[in-house]
Amino acid sequence: MQLLLVGVSHRTAPVELRERLDFSTRGVDRALVALAGAPAHHEAAIVSTCNRVELYVACDDAAPAQTAVHDFLSQFHGIPGDQLAPHLYAKVGPEAVQHLFRVAAGLDSLVMGEPQVLGQVKDAFSLASQMGCTGPLLNKLFHSAFTTGKRVRSETTLSEGAVSVSYAAVALARKIFGNLKGRTVVVLGAGEMGKLTALHMRSHGIGRLIILSRTAAHAAALATTIDGTAMPWESMDAALADADILITATGSSTPIVSRAVIEQTMKIRRQRPLFIIDIAVPRDVESDAGDIEQVFLYNIDDLQAVVQENLSKRGTEASQAETIVLQEVGKFIIWLNSRCAVPTVVALRQRFEGIRQSELRRLEPKMAGLPPEARARVDEITRLIVEKLLINPTEQLKAISDAETVATYSDALNRLFGLTSDDAAEEATAGAGSTKKPRP
Amino acid sequence: MNTVLLILYLVAGVAYAVQFTHRSFSTSRIASTLLILAAFAHTFVIGMETMRVGHVPFASATSAISTFVWLLALSYLYIELTTGERSMGVFILPLLIALQVIPAARPMLEERSPLLESPWFGVHVSSLLFAYASFALACVLGITYVLQFKEIKAKHLGFFYARLPSLNILDVMNVRAVKIGWLFLTVGLIAGAIWGSQLRPSDDPRMQSMSLGDPKIFVAVLSWVLYSFELYAQRAIGWRGRRAAWLSAVGFGTVLLNFVAVSYFFTKSHNF
Repeated sequence: MQLLLVGVSHRTAPVELRERLDFSTRGVDRALVALAGAPAHHEAAIVSTCNRVELYVACDDAAPAQTAVHDFLSQFHGIPGDQLAPHLYAKVGPEAVQHLFRVAAGLDSLVMGEPQVLGQVKDAFSLASQMGCTGPLLNKLFHSAFTTGKRVRSETTLSEGAVSVSYAAVALARKIFGNLKGRTVVVLGAGEMGKLTALHMRSHGIGRLIILSRTAAHAAALATTIDGTAMPWESMDAALADADILITATGSSTPIVSRAVIEQTMKIRRQRPLFIIDIAVPRDVESDAGDIEQVFLYNIDDLQAVVQENLSKRGTEASQAETIVLQEVGKFIIWLNSRCAVPTVVALRQRFEGIRQSELRRLEPKMAGLPPEARARVDEITRLIVEKLLINPTEQLKAISDAETVATYSDALNRLFGLTSDDAAEEATAGAGSTKKPRP
Repeated sequence: MNTVLLILYLVAGVAYAVQFTHRSFSTSRIASTLLILAAFAHTFVIGMETMRVGHVPFASATSAISTFVWLLALSYLYIELTTGERSMGVFILPLLIALQVIPAARPMLEERSPLLESPWFGVHVSSLLFAYASFALACVLGITYVLQFKEIKAKHLGFFYARLPSLNILDVMNVRAVKIGWLFLTVGLIAGAIWGSQLRPSDDPRMQSMSLGDPKIFVAVLSWVLYSFELYAQRAIGWRGRRAAWLSAVGFGTVLLNFVAVSYFFTKSHNF
């Protein structure tokens, strides 16, 4: 069986096309049924996120399966094939394996090392498996992908360090305050940036969220959307005294919080640490306020510098992550090759079982006079003999790791025991009933 | 035996350094196991010594240091095992190793003087050893606080930022360690004063120099004043964070000076 991947990602397709190909709007489950139902496909899974749409298919022959997937994509989404084709990539076998492992590790993401993609791959697999669309190949493939993702996360620092300004602010706050539970956040200005950062803080379980704006109505409106409290602009001093984290994002052209004001506040606060995130341009807080003991002042440029540094660190970690991916791909390929032996093993077992059954049938008249216990014993003994004869060859075959040797061995066995697939099928139907199904 | 302990601590120290720089989970397990092993062996050594002399070996400067290293290793392990935070280990281990060099290099000579039979003496020494262990932890917490504080203030989030717990936790734990240490220090000093007052000068010639003028007693009182100030300043004028951290570091500096240097070179009365 072969593994085929067909997909588009942020590297090959513009967002408009990715949006049109997004399965989540039309139902991944419906798509899975249609995809796995195609005669060329044995197993199927769909990874559909905002940055990629990828279809993983287990098939006998990659070329016709690929055409089938192309047709399926253009039909399902109603996009003409020639419009779609230049953006699609297709990978077969080891390349497809490596691609999925890189995706799971976050190496193929828009933001290198972002951790969500592993969860998305997991969701994709569990849906496909619930729908009964996965089998031995995709099961093993996806579980190996999860292992790769986990290894990259624990053995490298690829996913470490915030790579957006809002996350960088939250990460810093956590480094200063530890847990953000019960902390008070004050937002000056009711703009979009302030709102975004405040929302990130909110998702980390902060206590109070106070919003101040020169226009009281704006403050009130923002307060309702992000579940905070609006306070009048004049009460800024009181708000500052309460704040643990101050986010300033007003459109003011001159600083609105002076060093002197912060100094005064710090006295009232008894030097409780104050983290100021000044994301306004031009800046809202006098920059030398950052010199005050226990005041941590970061402006938008500082935060962006942190983000840049983290991104470049991730770049240097990537090579280590690629090594892990290659190791895991190697392990998977060994497993895949050992699976080549499975049809031969099955045929061999069926052949032996067939002979046993036919011999039992031939002896049936002679054994007719025996009591049922004795007949059962005969059945048991012959079965055990067959099992014991087969144990060693089965294990040896499965242990071979390269495809060529497996092919040579299989060929030899086929000739020696006269195993042809038709034969095996015939014997199998003849010997159905007491046949113990071999493990795949 | 003390040399073996030194080697055990050294090996654990290397493991802690490796796990701190590489942040590898498997090495961190090895590091903890090695330190537990060292502490276990140390417990055995202290136990043997206790059986031999009839009391916990802390009546000479050298054996007091050995007992102190053992106490500090146990206190640190307790914190590590309860919080799961291993990043302090790389700072504690060098201290353990440096101090363990002394008992490894000099024989532990325990004297059995009837003067030392008093329960006050036992309270005095054991309280002080507990206090010193707490202060050692506070000092390490303070140093790590300052290292990370500097990185955050300088807006260069580097090596320590990625490895240490949050400033708040370091600050809170520092204050807690100082409080516990201060309590034991106070008890230890009072017990020492009571014990001293019960002895007559004729009992021991060294008694005559037991006054505030003796360097050992003077520096001990000085460190008490320092830690009292740290606790007061933290409550009253908001000297938290970096200032408290510095005070903890300086405080432990005086403790170490007293415990090691003064014991061996300066004091006339307190050679233990």
